[in-house]
Amino acid sequence: MSLTIRARNLTRHYGRTHALDGVDLDVPSGRIVGLIGPNGAGKTTALKAILGLTSFKGELEVLGLNPSRQRDRLMQDVCFIADVAVLPRWARVWQVIDMTEKLHPRFSRERCMYYLKNTKIQHKQKVKTLSKGMVVQLHLALVMAIDAKLLVLDEPTLGLDILFRKRFYSNLLNEYFDEQRTILITTHQVEEVEHILTDLMFIKDGQLILNSTMDDVHERYVEVMAKPDRVEEARALGPLHERVLFGRHIFLFDRTDLGSLGELGEIHRPSVADLFVALMGDEYDNGLAGEAAA
Amino acid sequence: MSMQHVKTLGALMRRELWENPGTFKWTPAIIAGLTLFFIVVALAIGARFDAELAFTLDAIRTFAQEPADQRRLFMAGALYSSSALLFQLMILLVLFYLAGCLYEDRKDRSILFWKSLPVSDHMTVASKLLTACLLLPAFYLIAAFIVHLVVLLIATGYGLAAGVNPITTFWLPSALPRLWLVIALGLIVQALWLLPIYAWLMFCSSWAPRVPILIAIAIPLGVSLLQHAWSLLSVFGFPDFNIGLIMLMRFGTGLVPTNLDMQVDSTAHRADFTDVQFSEELFMNFSTLFGHLLKPEMWIGVVIALALLAGAAWFRRRATDN
Repeated sequence: MSLTIRARNLTRHYGRTHALDGVDLDVPSGRIVGLIGPNGAGKTTALKAILGLTSFKGELEVLGLNPSRQRDRLMQDVCFIADVAVLPRWARVWQVIDMTEKLHPRFSRERCMYYLKNTKIQHKQKVKTLSKGMVVQLHLALVMAIDAKLLVLDEPTLGLDILFRKRFYSNLLNEYFDEQRTILITTHQVEEVEHILTDLMFIKDGQLILNSTMDDVHERYVEVMAKPDRVEEARALGPLHERVLFGRHIFLFDRTDLGSLGELGEIHRPSVADLFVALMGDEYDNGLAGEAAA
Repeated sequence: MSMQHVKTLGALMRRELWENPGTFKWTPAIIAGLTLFFIVVALAIGARFDAELAFTLDAIRTFAQEPADQRRLFMAGALYSSSALLFQLMILLVLFYLAGCLYEDRKDRSILFWKSLPVSDHMTVASKLLTACLLLPAFYLIAAFIVHLVVLLIATGYGLAAGVNPITTFWLPSALPRLWLVIALGLIVQALWLLPIYAWLMFCSSWAPRVPILIAIAIPLGVSLLQHAWSLLSVFGFPDFNIGLIMLMRFGTGLVPTNLDMQVDSTAHRADFTDVQFSEELFMNFSTLFGHLLKPEMWIGVVIALALLAGAAWFRRRATDN
């Protein structure tokens, strides 16, 4: 299995802040990886390092290339969409398509037209007259028309309506993704991507707190909705996180003996969002969960 | 340099054209239009004072009798001056274009889109420099051609009215192919001569956090003021070497295709007119163009420019949206 991304001790400091603090990373090909973290956790810095847009310390190889020195060669096989639409505002739609076609050897005009067919985007329109959602649609159409090995999406569906978001993820999964490709997604809308991810990473203060496949995550973490009389017992087992829903206490455990947990209450598979809150520490909580996660 | 590189450069330069239609198309079109408008207005006013155009037509008949070299001198002078404004404003627009060329996409974040394309940063810098040195002048050259042709067509009308042969009186003495070739080469030599200044602007454009043109002016200005202050304080005199003045001199001694070709002996503090020939060679000619290429200052400037361009590419490689 060849590695798409390989990082060892990846570090990037901005003054005193550690945007990335010794991150080790192995992403094989054919995966859909979700990189999830709070604002300022180092997500964008990590993506920028992978895309050759920032300098870094440590080792980093993307598709066997050094991103900061060989960005132009790397971009033949890597596509990315930044967190907000960054298409040149002065250009017309047909000019953007034309430039991408001329400058990108793996771009297919037919595929791009196919994705644009169902949108309201006019070819003569200037990018600056498009709505925010339309710019994202155009950018996604451009990127999905490129036959790339790694697709990096930084908040790809920010500002899009729910219909388009659904269609985008289903296109991504059904028409774009295959064994040869890797997709790296960061997003705040975790619930939208969690069922398409194969791998999950949580990043906080420049460090990966979780880095495993979804299968492992499902095996490792369980959520127990404790029976009212077993709450103290469950708490004594040292859960990662505790929350209260409709008066019922819900505990999140890391690899505890499932047999004994079953007696405490109903067992669920935690959602990524709940897991995120548990592992990251809920900053709006009274410190209870934060201590548990640390 | 493979075919692919040439194709990429072409696509990148076309991008510059799309991004700056005002600089490339509208400005030369408007200046050419204004120039022609003022010529027509001047002729119309002339016609008011000169009823029946008697004096004007008489003058044209006299002009047709002048010796050939006098006619060539006059026509070259008229045509050069009709396009002078175009090429002077062009320099100004090139300076603004270069100051913004590696800055605008950093400001509006579209640099993230450009950097998602498999184009090296050297290629990007090269495309912008070639745009400033070749593509942009080409548009102004075409505007100048049109101005020249319209001026000659107007002259033809007057010539026919005066009963002289417009071909031998106006068109042949203009020697348009030679004139246009010398201007075209002049623009290239001029770009080479101003290359260190162009490269300095691109260098500032590649890293300046805001208003790169002001930073590009403020740095040499500040350094010269410091130099002056220091040498006034230390040796009670002006400095021998002043970066700001050197840059201004570069402009002054440039060869805008309207500059008279006179060697000014600066050490003697007087203009040396002894070699000046009053023919069309007075304005611009091949030998002075190539003479510029033999000056050591030309190549020192090119070396400085290359260093600054390498610096611009270095900053470009590290540039992102913030």
